[in-house]
Amino acid sequence: MEPPHNSVVRTPLNSVIVQRRSKSKSYRQSYRSCLGAASRLGLTPALTARRLNTSRRAPKSHNISEKVNPEHLALLLKTEWKLSYVSPLYKFRHTQLKSYSRQLSAFIAAEKQQGLAVEVEGLQSGFRVTLSVVQGLTETDDDAETVLIQIHANPLFARQDEPQRSVWSGWLTCINGNTDYLHSLPKDFTCLPLCGCSGSEYLSGLVKSWFQQTFDCCFGPLEINHTSLQWLVALWTNCHMESSLQHLKMSWTLPVVPPLQVTYTVNPQDAWELWCSVRAGRQEEDEEEEEGGSIDIKEVMRLMQGLKGHFFRHFRLDLSAGSLRQVTTALGSAKCNGRIKISNSRYMITTLTLLTECALLKMPI
Amino acid sequence: MEDSTRRVLQRLIRRIPTPQLKTTLEKWSGMTVAQRGSMDYTQTKWALTEKLLSLCEENDWTTKHITELEMIYVIDNPNQGMWHGFQLLDPEDDAHSVELTQFKEQFKSHLGELVRHVSVKIKKHTDEAVWIRIAWGDSFSRPNHLKPTYVVHHLQTPYVFVTGLTSKQKPLLSQALVLSTRHHTIKDANLSGRKLTAIRDLLMKQYQQVFPTNFPSPLAEKNETVSNPKIEREQAGPGAHRHQMACEAFGDGMLPQLQSAVYKLETKFKDHTNRTMTERDEPFKCIVKFESTNLLESLRYCAASGIASTPVTPLLSSIPLKGRNYFVITDNGPGPSSQMHQSQN
Amino acid sequence: MEGTSTKGGVLSLLSLLEVQARSRRHVPPQRSRVKELRAEAEALRVRREQLKTEIQTHQSLQRLRTSLDRQSTHDEEEEEEEEEEMDEDSENSQLLKLMARHTRVKDLLLAHHLIGGYDIVKTRHGKGVCVSVATAYEGVCLETYNLEMDLKPTLRICRHNVPPFVPLSSLAEQGDMQTDIRAFLETLSQHLNAFAGRKQQLKLVKEQHKTIEVMESNALCSILVLMFTVPKTKTAILCTLNYSDHTACLPARVQFECDVKEILESTEWRKNCSLLMETPLHKALMTMKKMGNIV
Repeated sequence: MEPPHNSVVRTPLNSVIVQRRSKSKSYRQSYRSCLGAASRLGLTPALTARRLNTSRRAPKSHNISEKVNPEHLALLLKTEWKLSYVSPLYKFRHTQLKSYSRQLSAFIAAEKQQGLAVEVEGLQSGFRVTLSVVQGLTETDDDAETVLIQIHANPLFARQDEPQRSVWSGWLTCINGNTDYLHSLPKDFTCLPLCGCSGSEYLSGLVKSWFQQTFDCCFGPLEINHTSLQWLVALWTNCHMESSLQHLKMSWTLPVVPPLQVTYTVNPQDAWELWCSVRAGRQEEDEEEEEGGSIDIKEVMRLMQGLKGHFFRHFRLDLSAGSLRQVTTALGSAKCNGRIKISNSRYMITTLTLLTECALLKMPI
Repeated sequence: MEDSTRRVLQRLIRRIPTPQLKTTLEKWSGMTVAQRGSMDYTQTKWALTEKLLSLCEENDWTTKHITELEMIYVIDNPNQGMWHGFQLLDPEDDAHSVELTQFKEQFKSHLGELVRHVSVKIKKHTDEAVWIRIAWGDSFSRPNHLKPTYVVHHLQTPYVFVTGLTSKQKPLLSQALVLSTRHHTIKDANLSGRKLTAIRDLLMKQYQQVFPTNFPSPLAEKNETVSNPKIEREQAGPGAHRHQMACEAFGDGMLPQLQSAVYKLETKFKDHTNRTMTERDEPFKCIVKFESTNLLESLRYCAASGIASTPVTPLLSSIPLKGRNYFVITDNGPGPSSQMHQSQN
Repeated sequence: MEGTSTKGGVLSLLSLLEVQARSRRHVPPQRSRVKELRAEAEALRVRREQLKTEIQTHQSLQRLRTSLDRQSTHDEEEEEEEEEEMDEDSENSQLLKLMARHTRVKDLLLAHHLIGGYDIVKTRHGKGVCVSVATAYEGVCLETYNLEMDLKPTLRICRHNVPPFVPLSSLAEQGDMQTDIRAFLETLSQHLNAFAGRKQQLKLVKEQHKTIEVMESNALCSILVLMFTVPKTKTAILCTLNYSDHTACLPARVQFECDVKEILESTEWRKNCSLLMETPLHKALMTMKKMGNIV
């Protein structure tokens, strides 16, 4: 895919683009290399632990409802999002969103005229695209502002006065992005590595291809792997005192014939007490830590081990033989196929931080 | 023709998929041969419904005719809806001599005494099963044929399978069943699922159970060839043993297609690496649900492959052994809420 | 040693064949085994040579066995005498004698099995046993039922494949299973054999007597309603057979119903009634057909 380095010499006319590409490649490589070569495998907890941060700040309850537009927040909360990763956007300007909205509208209209639209979309007309900034949904100064994309359309048999309906929405975000990586990017790049889409696959495809053409980036599906799901179990459980979990529900699939699905739903108070006991053990070892300051991967593993151990004691069945597919609490739900729903605004930042990290790890070389 | 009859017919035709519609109508006595011949099953469901509604008018079908048709369909396609198992207890001395005619009369008269408006239809299926369809009404309303209860019972057995029963109707049905089968009580068997056949086979023990034997199983000969004979030989001993244990726990061959099992656990959390939790007085509360297209086959695979340790824990082997798929597990023996004593350390 | 294994092998092979014969009713034999069988034949030929040499050992074992059988009816003194006599025979006589005793015990066990004993297998390192109760009717082996039992703290049935309409738990309670397991197994075997017999009769009736309509039957095969047709007049007769004794293959009560009362009052039909009560159903029907009482 990437042109070889010596093409700089061979095709001087294209030198600008080629140089940019080769540069971005080297930055990507350096980011990956600092994470370790084994990161791509990430099959065992030990390896996966090296992949993601092995320690992260305990989720503070962020009252983002004061900062973020309530309409935007409501949309972000009520929807289940299909996640993708996005490579850095070239020459993306937050000031140009109005113009981008027009361009994307025109792009969708043109694609539709080419007759590529399938039945469902054929029922809609008059696409109106809005790109906007979600003010306040950032954590550090390095994070680029979150961009929200909304597509409205007229239903086919709509009356004149009927308002347009939202047919698709999506966002691009970066929360607590790795500073080293963000600083290493050349000037014209904006890093919004995490993308969530909700709506028809067809429109998702159109929006992605417009972004790819316009900002020379690429999209790929972002799965939420075993380790990330385990992190979410711990991060959400850690919030129980401030905001009740209601239940901690985890689903495993075991590779047997026919496949066996095990759903393990733990009483929230019991999950919390188990979490505390696992945390307490650590604080004895590590006195200098501020209480609740950070969570270590070892604690996450101990929590999971405790839960699996209790299960094993009863059923003599090893859940480690299977894979964790889904985690659900009142604070949100996450599925291994990259679908996430964040139900509580106070812990949105924590969850998005983890997912931003996952997305950054996916950056193609 | 009454409006309600039309509604029942419409609703029924909507429920029956077109391919099954033909076979169902052919078993039914409501149509003449000519009428049956005039049906064009390539037509849309809507057109077929219109046609049948006009035939309904022509033949002057009553609700009785339509419920007959419904029973034919439900008996042939029993794996729909949620079926619950019940167990009759404490039989009277003459319980084993109850025969069909007597049962029919008794059941209808007992239920009729309990509910003023009730419509009962009883049919014996070829496999010795007695099928009962009940449309319930109350003192003020006529029987509702749109929401019938179906009951399946094999005479002289202690099991009854029920679908479409509300909690209000449950005591009424229970009483009628207990009296007409000559038993003293009936209890929930804690077994439910979408497949009637699976629930029936499990409770009636109509599947291939495996018992310890001195003789090598003739089935062992059938084992497929494995690519690596060395590994095969190495693993044959423990592997075969696990397979035998798995089959002893869950059965051999095709197993009843049970789809789920639920355990409500309220047991102490014990973990030698976690003193805080182990010393805690309160039980650790959780609910575990196992799901599969064929749960027993999945569990057998777990045990045979070593994902689940052998011998299989009584918690799992209790599913086929006790014929139930809902369990409440507590540490303190059989109390009022506990339905199974936890037998592990 | 080889002699024992051969002898024991023959017996267990017989048992194995029995098990296989039963299971074969469910599992159709595999066809493409010709090659396999040829190789086996070759192996067997080699084995034959081995066996020939073993025969001698076996023959001496047989001699010992005969004398042993004779001894059991004689006095102990004589036994000693013979023992001494044998010591002179060979160095291996002690071993051979043990082997002979072993085969004798095995034969006794087999005899026990043949006269209606039960197969008992120890399970879970002796913490439980598995008993199998075989059923048969008119020389045809039918289902085998199994009971797995815990031995401690008290004898308890923990798993079985007895159909639910056989009142297993009440049989276990009534016959004092704790103290007299044999009596319990005896009753259970009677129930199961009678059930298997009734079921088999019903099956045979359905197969052999297509002109007789089975109006009603139940899972336990304890109630049977048949419809006969009288030749010429074509009168229908309803026959209800009630097997209220569940340990019996024959009905306890036979009842006819017919619109033409005179038919039932005839001596022929009175005879038919007692015929049905005393003869297996399919055979009784055969006789009734031959006599021209039914179609």
